[in-house]
Amino acid sequence: MARTLPLALCFIMGVLMACQFFIPHPLSQSFLDLIIKWVRIISAFALALGVRSVTLRHYERIKRRKGEWGFSVVTIVSLLATALIGLIWGVGAKSYLRLIFSNIMVPLGATMFSILAFYMASAAYRAFRARTKEATLLLIASFIVMLGMVPIGTAISPRLSDLAEWLLSVPNMAAKRGIMFGVALGVIATSLKIILGIERGWLGGRR
Amino acid sequence: MSFWEKLGKIDRKIIFLLMAVVIIIPLLSPLNLVGKVGRRTQELFRAIDNLPENSYLLITIDFDPQSMPELYPMYLAILRHAFAKNLRVIVTGLWVTGVGLGEDGLKTVAPEYNKVYGRDYVFLGWKPGITAVVLGMGRSMKETFPTDYYGTSYDSLPIFTKDITYRDIPFMVSLSAGVPGYETWIAYAQSRFGIRIGAGVTAVSAADAYPYLQSGQLTGLLGGMKAAAEYEFLNEKAGFTKAFKPASQLMDSQSLAHLVIMILVIIGNISYFALRRKR
Amino acid sequence: MIPQEIWIWVGAILTLFIFSFLYGDNPFYRFAEHLYVGVSVGYTIAITWHNFFYPDLVVPLFKQGNLFYLIPFLLGILYFSIFFPKISWLIRIPMGFVLGYSSGVAIPAILQANIIKQMQGTFLTPDLLKRPDLILWGIVSLIGVVATVIYFFFSREQKGLTKGMANLGIIFLMIGFGASFGYTVMARVSLLLGRLQFLLRDWLGVIK
Repeated sequence: MARTLPLALCFIMGVLMACQFFIPHPLSQSFLDLIIKWVRIISAFALALGVRSVTLRHYERIKRRKGEWGFSVVTIVSLLATALIGLIWGVGAKSYLRLIFSNIMVPLGATMFSILAFYMASAAYRAFRARTKEATLLLIASFIVMLGMVPIGTAISPRLSDLAEWLLSVPNMAAKRGIMFGVALGVIATSLKIILGIERGWLGGRR
Repeated sequence: MSFWEKLGKIDRKIIFLLMAVVIIIPLLSPLNLVGKVGRRTQELFRAIDNLPENSYLLITIDFDPQSMPELYPMYLAILRHAFAKNLRVIVTGLWVTGVGLGEDGLKTVAPEYNKVYGRDYVFLGWKPGITAVVLGMGRSMKETFPTDYYGTSYDSLPIFTKDITYRDIPFMVSLSAGVPGYETWIAYAQSRFGIRIGAGVTAVSAADAYPYLQSGQLTGLLGGMKAAAEYEFLNEKAGFTKAFKPASQLMDSQSLAHLVIMILVIIGNISYFALRRKR
Repeated sequence: MIPQEIWIWVGAILTLFIFSFLYGDNPFYRFAEHLYVGVSVGYTIAITWHNFFYPDLVVPLFKQGNLFYLIPFLLGILYFSIFFPKISWLIRIPMGFVLGYSSGVAIPAILQANIIKQMQGTFLTPDLLKRPDLILWGIVSLIGVVATVIYFFFSREQKGLTKGMANLGIIFLMIGFGASFGYTVMARVSLLLGRLQFLLRDWLGVIK
């Protein structure tokens, strides 16, 4: 029961949804309408999983006074405070939640990845070597894009941006399309494996 | 340590400092380098420019603060263009943490053009279920968004004269920082319902979008902040706006940073080859 | 209400907390990092409630008594079984439902968008015959796509023609990766610039 029922449900849903695409009958369309409505509702509850995984980890750390548990307090308190502020006073343009979003979440989020610019410059200097023919090609292509895409490239030569555009549109496009075929076939194969119950990782434990 | 060895071992802190300096100086005293507007930016601009007055333009905020410096200026520029052309703008998004940015942009730009909420533009917020939302909008906008972000019911929003679907939307732009993003709209909204799509993406994923441009699945592409600057330029040239251009202001620094990184790579390589020859 | 200037200071100080990581890992950075996680999850909870649960579920089910919403509501509730180890297996039911749905809709969508349309683009480009150079680049693209696909085909030993094609595939891939790298440099620099613009313009007001 604990395994058969979910697997059967997954199989039935998968087959019905895959076939539905090819059947334009009104009945099939109404079925789609019904299912997407249900899926939206059910998926919303999956939020519970995300909240659980974040809180559980930090709760354990606080309970055991493990490592830098003080920071875990920061996470839990800010989570509860933000959620409560949003739930009680709403999410509109003039709400407290908007102030938290614009002045805490935005600066933190936007800065998080901006420091990578420094590390990338340093790493490129240290590791980006034209050791082989392939590496040389990679290096030249990256230089053309780096220069061709910014005003200074146009100042050096107006043809540089055309060259960059060609490089992106022809050889790069061909390579990315080749990769895309591989990825797409992989997605389809995985989807089929899930529907047919070959891929069962999502069932979790043994019971 | 020989000169060549030293050349290959510049301290990380010096590189950090160098980067900071070349980026900050042009911000304080601009060089005003003039770039060229790329073909893909022009394609997107033209697609929006050619839409008849009062048509719907769907803009989706498929990003969050982490890629805001790249995609938010695009959003502002596209909004300015859309409002200047009197298009009816619908904004929604597939990223829950991007909701505030979608609202911010509208709050900033709509007053510049005296646009009225609910009549000229609407903010639908976010719904869970990703593909179910994208497919749902193809069947019925009203069922998918019974209310807007502020809780106003669909029927009381004058912008919607009936229950619309993708058939009523001649063009959409996905501003996307990954998955779900423009690829989700292509796979589920376009392949089933045939909507025309343009995209604005982070530079990291711009090169990956080219197969979609070549096959015609994407109409126009903005790749990174530089494309946002190009769009700002086109808007201003057409006389649509005189507002501050956040992306354009940063292009000098962007240019110099690229140059410095390239010089660093070249120095690293000179040192490497000089040492290899010695051995 | 806290005035806007103070909020800008909050944003600026938090930005500097993150930047402090450049000097080395430190408590300020750790604080900012943990704050971000907490605030993001809290924000998600609030938005999900106000944007979805309340208008799309609570109103129709509990206020209007539309029992149609009862089934998905009960299925969704099963997600909470994860908090009770004895019945935690029940979570597999909504997961099976959603996974089956998403796998099912993905197959035709991906097939159409990423295989059929892309193949059409490779072989039948509408503007291919407009100019001689476009024909040339069309052929180069076609060869590039085939070569890249052959490079990724590991099921058989590559020798002779396939080996040659696979090597050609590497050339195309390297150009592709190079282009991506160039664009990545651009992306990272842009993110940094965006933050500096905030500090110098919005906070300090030294640039206009």
